[in-house]
Amino acid sequence: MERAVPPAVPLGQMEVFQALQRLHMTIFSQSVSPCGKFLAAGNNYGQIAIFSLSAALSSEAKEESKKPIVTFQAHDGPVYSMVSTDRHLLSAGDGEVKAWLWAEILKKGCKELWRRQPPYRTSLEVPEINALLLVPKENSLILAGGDCQLHTMDLETGTFTRALRGHTDYIHCLALRERSPEVLSGGEDGAVRLWDLRTAREVQTIEVYKHEECSRPHNGRWIGCLATDSDWMVCGGGPALTLWHLRSSTPTTVFPMRAPQKHVTFYQDLVLTAAGNSCRVDVFTNLGYRAFSLSF
Amino acid sequence: MSSESSKKRKPKVIRSDGAPAEGKRNRSDTEQEGKYYSEEAEVDLRDPGRDYELYKYTCQELQRLMAEIQDLKSRGGKDAAIEIEDRRIQSCVHFMTLKKLNRLAHIRLKKGRDQTHEAKQKVDAYHLQLQNLLYEVMHLQKEITKCLEFKSKHEEIDLVSLEEFYKEAPPDISKAEVTMGDPHQQTLARLDWELEQRKRLAEKYRECLSNKEKILKEIEVKKEYLSSLQPRLNSIMQASLPVQEYLFMPFDQAHKQYETARHLPPPLYVLFVQATAYGQACDKTLSVAIEGSVDEAKALFKPPEDSQDDESDSDAEEEQTTKRRRPTLGVQLDDKRKEMLKRHPLSVMLDLKCKDDSVLHLTFYYLMNLNIMTVKAKVTTATELITPISAGDLLSPDSVLSCLYPGDHGKKTPNPANQYQFDKVGILTLRDYVLDLGHPYLWVQKLGGLHFPKEQPQHTVVADHSLSASHMETTMKLLKTRVQSRLALHKQFASLEHGIVPVTSDCQYLFPAKVVSRLVKWVAIAHEDYMELHFTKDIVEAGLAGDTNLYYMALVERGTAKLQAAVVLNPGYSSIPPIFQLCLNWKGEKTNSNDDNIRAMESEVNVCYKELCGPRPSHQLLTNQLQRLCVLLDVYLETESHDDSVEGPKEFPQEKMCLRLFRGPSRMKPFKYNHPQGFFSHR
Repeated sequence: MERAVPPAVPLGQMEVFQALQRLHMTIFSQSVSPCGKFLAAGNNYGQIAIFSLSAALSSEAKEESKKPIVTFQAHDGPVYSMVSTDRHLLSAGDGEVKAWLWAEILKKGCKELWRRQPPYRTSLEVPEINALLLVPKENSLILAGGDCQLHTMDLETGTFTRALRGHTDYIHCLALRERSPEVLSGGEDGAVRLWDLRTAREVQTIEVYKHEECSRPHNGRWIGCLATDSDWMVCGGGPALTLWHLRSSTPTTVFPMRAPQKHVTFYQDLVLTAAGNSCRVDVFTNLGYRAFSLSF
Repeated sequence: MSSESSKKRKPKVIRSDGAPAEGKRNRSDTEQEGKYYSEEAEVDLRDPGRDYELYKYTCQELQRLMAEIQDLKSRGGKDAAIEIEDRRIQSCVHFMTLKKLNRLAHIRLKKGRDQTHEAKQKVDAYHLQLQNLLYEVMHLQKEITKCLEFKSKHEEIDLVSLEEFYKEAPPDISKAEVTMGDPHQQTLARLDWELEQRKRLAEKYRECLSNKEKILKEIEVKKEYLSSLQPRLNSIMQASLPVQEYLFMPFDQAHKQYETARHLPPPLYVLFVQATAYGQACDKTLSVAIEGSVDEAKALFKPPEDSQDDESDSDAEEEQTTKRRRPTLGVQLDDKRKEMLKRHPLSVMLDLKCKDDSVLHLTFYYLMNLNIMTVKAKVTTATELITPISAGDLLSPDSVLSCLYPGDHGKKTPNPANQYQFDKVGILTLRDYVLDLGHPYLWVQKLGGLHFPKEQPQHTVVADHSLSASHMETTMKLLKTRVQSRLALHKQFASLEHGIVPVTSDCQYLFPAKVVSRLVKWVAIAHEDYMELHFTKDIVEAGLAGDTNLYYMALVERGTAKLQAAVVLNPGYSSIPPIFQLCLNWKGEKTNSNDDNIRAMESEVNVCYKELCGPRPSHQLLTNQLQRLCVLLDVYLETESHDDSVEGPKEFPQEKMCLRLFRGPSRMKPFKYNHPQGFFSHR
């Protein structure tokens, strides 16, 4: 098979190491700046890189425009999730959440504005934070991850107000139901739980893997991704990607995809989903057929 | 008057004629005049003008008489004859007169001529005298000027100045009282003094000459003495050799080496000097020697005619040997190529001894026409090495020194000017000849002081000592590290081929006590085979899989699970880590493209290699990586979540202590081993 082989550049120790790092890098999270010009990406080495979207997407974009403007070591462990408020970038990964000022972040040597660690029960291993969710009405942040709890943190005071327990295994993803302020969380234990933020209790539990239409035991029962549209919910992971009607807790459509889905989002009337180990973003209508796929 | 004169004349004539005939010369003129009628005297008396009138009258009378005769003759008659006779007699008389007149005229003319002649003679005589006198005057004048110009020789001599003369000269010569007044005397005195001085100096000169002779003789004697000393010193040196060896100070040997070193070409000379200096100063395990034929080296400097003669001779010989066949174009080209790639007959040998008694032998050559240096390497060990099959390339002379510095593969000539030379003789690249000639690594050129800058090609590249010195230490250290790491690998490969991963005791802490997965295969594979594997694409595209690397395939097994690991071993091991790419065959084929955990396993050995280096000089890296791989496979298999739908127990029960099985959005397995607690966690 003819393949264009790149010429072997004389590589010293440093270059080889950097090349290997890049080969084994995973980007777990990204977030767009409030002004829309920059993109922050967090990787498994704990680094955050800021890209200039305006430069990279412009017509005169060169190779250098696609490189980060600035890269800094944000966390000791991987950066699993990031969200942006209108002034801050919040990143979390190895058990801590840190905040950075978007205005300052482009300067070298940027320091975090603050860092908080939710009160964990176990001390042997610091649990990771897999998902961050902003609740704009309450001006609070919800963290969820390795310790199987959802923690809410007030963004103004920085105190942890609530800890919602219920999951039996670590939590993968969060979604916010706007109308009635409820939070959905999906976890490794295969259940999607709905929580009422005002009462801080679990309202509803959907054990996805128990439903035959969507369960795929060979993949496991974990829920990797969640998206909600107040009435409807899409979730997938080990089980197949399914559209649920929340009030009745019944699966309505099962999307036919083989790979476990990692990301899903509602967009107008469509469902966009990405698997993470394929190069495609599939677009589905609510009726369950795949309209088309966006591909890298 | 005429008749009278003619009458008188007749007898006179007879007399005057007869008188001189008889007379003697003694008779004076006055006697003649008195006795004879001299017509000469008469001429003086007569008036020429009157003679002229007479002549005219006579002519007239003659004409008249003739006319009368004519008349008479024409009339005829008897009387006429007497008249005619009368007239005839008269005319005869007139004729006589005319004759006399003619004589007189002649005599006058003669006299006039004589007088003129005399006068002329006198004038001539005076003129001659005048000329003689003038000539004499001129001569005398010349003589005078000559005399006036005459310089005496004494004026040419530079005499000492007057003051000096009076100062120095002894009084009997200078005679001041006499010479002061008289310049002639003064000059004489001065000349005397000059003579005196010269005599003295001549004396001195003779003395000096004789001195010089004496001294020359002495010098001769001494020279002979010294030359007799030389062979004695030689014999002493010979005798001292055993003493030198005994004391480990081989001066003689070093001296001989320096003698030979004089014939080395400049880059080899730089290398020799720098290496010897480095060896003496920093590194006792380095030994330097020169090999090759000194005579041939000397022969290179013979004048070109000789070498051309040799060439033509050899050509002639070649013609003879091939008899009728002329050397073909190919053969000629071949010869030209050989000529271009000719090596200098001398080479420098460096022996680097390592701690375990293995020796790296480096032979450095200089290619004269290309102005580059090459090296051939050989590794010898204290004990005989049994080469495991996969270790074939590790210590091979061709590749043991490859990429000592990153990118220095030694297959291309470092001198950009060589390309033009190659084009002329049809050599594509030096790569075809490296086996024979040695490798032209860049560090070799630097050790020889040769620098070929890419930006500004220089006309002549000269060997530079400082360049060599600045690179010597680093290069020697790198060479030693290289040999030792290769030897370590050699040993490790022998063990790996038997399925045992040789983990040293000081690296045991990196791994749990019990490792169930086993290495079952370890083979070397070719570069092309590596490129063909489907799970190595990432590495190839990242440009990390060049043709200077060595490639291996390891197979780790546990139960039904088979893990293939393709290994890229960079020549710069162990500062550059080996790169692993994995493919797991267990319940389907899993590679880094479809299983994040495989990717995580690769990351554990590729990216986190620094933990696995072990104690310096980190020769344990590869074996530690392999051992870790086995551990990772164990963890992977044991932590695989059980599929509830399938009946039956798990193939691999979990024995490893893990805090959590999955973590993070990618649901990673706990691959990190914690020592000494002995549990597995996530990074």
